[in-house]
Amino acid sequence: MLLNRETYAKKWIIRPDGEEKVTGKLRYLTDLTAPGMLYGKVLRSRYPHAWILSIDTTKARQLPGVRAVVTAKDVPGMNLFGIAFPHQPVLCHDRVRYIGDALAAVAADTEELAEYALSLIEVVYEPLPVVDDPETALDEGVMKLHPEGNLLHRTSLQQGEMSFAGCAHIVEETYHTPRQMHTYMETEGGLFIPEADGRLTVYSPTQHGYKDRMQLARILAMAEEQIRVISSPIGGSFGGKDELNVQPFGALLALQTGSPIKMHNSRKESVIAGIKRHPMRIRMKTGVDEAGHMVAHQVRILADTGAYATLGCEVLNFATEHAIGPYTIPNIDVEGTSVYTNNGVSGEFRGFGGNQVIFAVESQIERLAEKLGMDAWELRKLNLRAPGDPGPMGQKIVQTEGASQVWSKMMESALWAKRAKLQPGSGQSPPSESQDPWTRRGIGAAMVMHGAGLGLGIPDHSGGRLELTPEGKIQASFGFEEFGQGLYAALTLMLQDVFGCATDDIVIVIGDTDRVPSSGSSTASRATTMMWRALQRLRPPFVHTLLQLASEWAGIAAAELATGAGGIHRIGDEAGTPVVTYAQLAEAAEAAAKPILAHTEFDYPTTPEGLVGAHYLYSYAAVAVEVEVNMLTGRVKVIQTDHVIAAGPVINPMGFLGQIEGGSGMALGFTLTEDAVMKESAYLRHNLDTYLVPTFKDSPHIIRVEAIEELPVGDTFGPRGVGEIGSVGLAPAITAAVRQATGIWVSRLPLSPEDIVQSIDWLERVEAID
Amino acid sequence: MINTTYVLKCAINGKAVAIPVPASKRMSDILRDDLLLTGTKVSCEIGRCGACMVLLDGKPVNSCLLMAYQAAGREVTTIEGISAGEDLHPVQQAMLEEGGLQCGYCTAGMVVTLTALWEINPAPTRAEAEQALCGNICRCTGYEGIFRAVERCGLSIKREG
Ligand code: FES
Ligand code: FES
Repeated sequence: MLLNRETYAKKWIIRPDGEEKVTGKLRYLTDLTAPGMLYGKVLRSRYPHAWILSIDTTKARQLPGVRAVVTAKDVPGMNLFGIAFPHQPVLCHDRVRYIGDALAAVAADTEELAEYALSLIEVVYEPLPVVDDPETALDEGVMKLHPEGNLLHRTSLQQGEMSFAGCAHIVEETYHTPRQMHTYMETEGGLFIPEADGRLTVYSPTQHGYKDRMQLARILAMAEEQIRVISSPIGGSFGGKDELNVQPFGALLALQTGSPIKMHNSRKESVIAGIKRHPMRIRMKTGVDEAGHMVAHQVRILADTGAYATLGCEVLNFATEHAIGPYTIPNIDVEGTSVYTNNGVSGEFRGFGGNQVIFAVESQIERLAEKLGMDAWELRKLNLRAPGDPGPMGQKIVQTEGASQVWSKMMESALWAKRAKLQPGSGQSPPSESQDPWTRRGIGAAMVMHGAGLGLGIPDHSGGRLELTPEGKIQASFGFEEFGQGLYAALTLMLQDVFGCATDDIVIVIGDTDRVPSSGSSTASRATTMMWRALQRLRPPFVHTLLQLASEWAGIAAAELATGAGGIHRIGDEAGTPVVTYAQLAEAAEAAAKPILAHTEFDYPTTPEGLVGAHYLYSYAAVAVEVEVNMLTGRVKVIQTDHVIAAGPVINPMGFLGQIEGGSGMALGFTLTEDAVMKESAYLRHNLDTYLVPTFKDSPHIIRVEAIEELPVGDTFGPRGVGEIGSVGLAPAITAAVRQATGIWVSRLPLSPEDIVQSIDWLERVEAID
Repeated sequence: MINTTYVLKCAINGKAVAIPVPASKRMSDILRDDLLLTGTKVSCEIGRCGACMVLLDGKPVNSCLLMAYQAAGREVTTIEGISAGEDLHPVQQAMLEEGGLQCGYCTAGMVVTLTALWEINPAPTRAEAEQALCGNICRCTGYEGIFRAVERCGLSIKREG
């Protein structure tokens, strides 16, 4: 169904955390202050690659107002961090490997003083040759960035026999994707408070409070229970705050000084030190037979992971798995390589490696269709995976009709009707209403299959808790974080659905390790699914206890009672006054010293067979776009976008819509303008004046989002998350549309207006103007 | 450190204030650090993102580019001063109802700019609305929810085509 406020009127609710945001009252963790707080700043490396000969902090320490200067020597525990494996130094002491490497951190009375103190720290470097090219990083004689060499990870996925012998057409192409920056509006920071009882409270945005706590405990040599991490609300993350950023420095300085420490990165520091989307170079050779059946698909992925691993292995695994898209191809040979360089660190980013390979594989389809003289959408259908087909790694997966549903649904859209009038792949511009003679329009489309959860072999634990508070509220506690995705709203809707209760019967607690159970990371589109599954498990025991108690209280059989607004109602009288209110039940429970609560722990469902990283649940998407290309400037403007998403029942329509629209906006930047360009491993763009994310003016005039909610009967997996899928398919749809408008194939993102202008025949351009 | 005897006298959200600050201190820092009005956000510090937008005598300006002395004798309105009393401004209500926000970090600046547009030009064309809003970056919503809010709060923007 088309997603909007009319079609989903009943579930179209104002987000519970909205009012505080529109009034500016909400305190983000970087807005917090504490009496007597000091300011923390970090000294980053001057060179992308160098030996550190000495670090002299004497002058900085002597500066009045400077309260602490910490270096590697002051790290009491493990001087390393990393989500997947601890690998990145908190503070470097012998070598720096990228421009964001930290050498020292300072706490001072004011921010200016802290900044000034950094300039007084004397570091003697011996610069080393820079390894800035992932192509040559593995060559003989190139300096090793880590003892194990410059190879982080290799993947391979093979099925059938690799031979292009029987192919009628073969397309071979190399695709390049950019180093995209998360550009969350709130840069990293927080407040770090050493408590009187010896504990440490960390108020800092992260996607996984428990993981931060564990890592901080290791770094600080403290017990985990001694640290409390408060991790919401967050001004955007998109994967970028899953890894520790300023937390180790804030924590070290707080413990050293005994004072609260405030940190808040400048945009420039955020650019330099923050992780990015992996730039990838993807070579694909794909062959089809006469009829268009895909026969052989050879893929070589080269990912630039930068100086440290973070989730480089996992992202490459994901890219490898998704390199065949939603198709079945008998013979596949995918190899991935992720290499270390002195470039910025690449890590987790919305879409998780899918965006890069989907751009490549969908582009291949377009090129093959043209060779076949066939409509590309028909070619997709011909090769589309069918229900019953195994997953891309040959693994058992949860079957849905998603692939064919999104394929068919797209054809019903108005945008599609426009597209159908065009000649396939002719570079022919459709007739358009108010077009300037130098602009051309084109329509393109793409498909996506996207795995949810972390995949096989990676701990993917979750859990949750329900309790009736002394005030008579149903309190749901989860270890997830709110970074804009609308978790409060989703959970409110789910709780209302499960208990039939009113909004003010509900209390939600998230993002505080002292108050919530561990639920795993808020990542990989997993939070909504995990909360839904938790409630499925928590509901029966919790409701049972409530009804038992209510039955005793009211002298009515439990079977005649149900939860509802304000308390327990007689079945059939849900609209009336409750037989007993939640507050009365809470009182009764307290009197009986029997707290009402339920707790659950479980793992994200994974495939019983397959290779590491293989997913079990997939969602599907189709996206079509109409673009306008200015033939004089080479600028591409997306006019209209249609998304069809098959991800199970829609829990929170406003949130679902927002995730697809927002993901799509991010993909627009990935396709057209965003690239954190590096030269000799130094960033050339440090702020939003040169790193261009889409603005109002750049965004499409119309975005339609259609949700396919049906799941096969008996599917117990419920709603799948949609945090990522909207960001994946737009790029190939845009480049297909550009091809149609101009006849130009794009294989490098972000697509360059210069390339377009230069590819256009001059005479043809003159004709276009005439 | 250089000391200053400069005292900024201006009105902030309708209240007269006198704050001793360096004359070149940025208004965004004054608001956040000295007055603890943290609704005004800072994201780029160079006038590109709009997170720090405030009204200066009713016109939207980036407070990260506004120095203390430039505000002397003038009227500054921050997000905290947008809604009169308890009631939300129609712009704020529309943002809520249409999903014009996600993480909310751009929202205060967005609401400030939108409020100015709403008051200055209640019937902008789409081009005018885009023009007015394109100094505010939102990384979460893809702007769609904000466009819906713009239409909902009575601004007659035609979005087609
Ligand atoms: S912080 Fe002022 S415009 Fe970005
Ligand atoms: S809502 Fe997050 S930046 Fe706009």
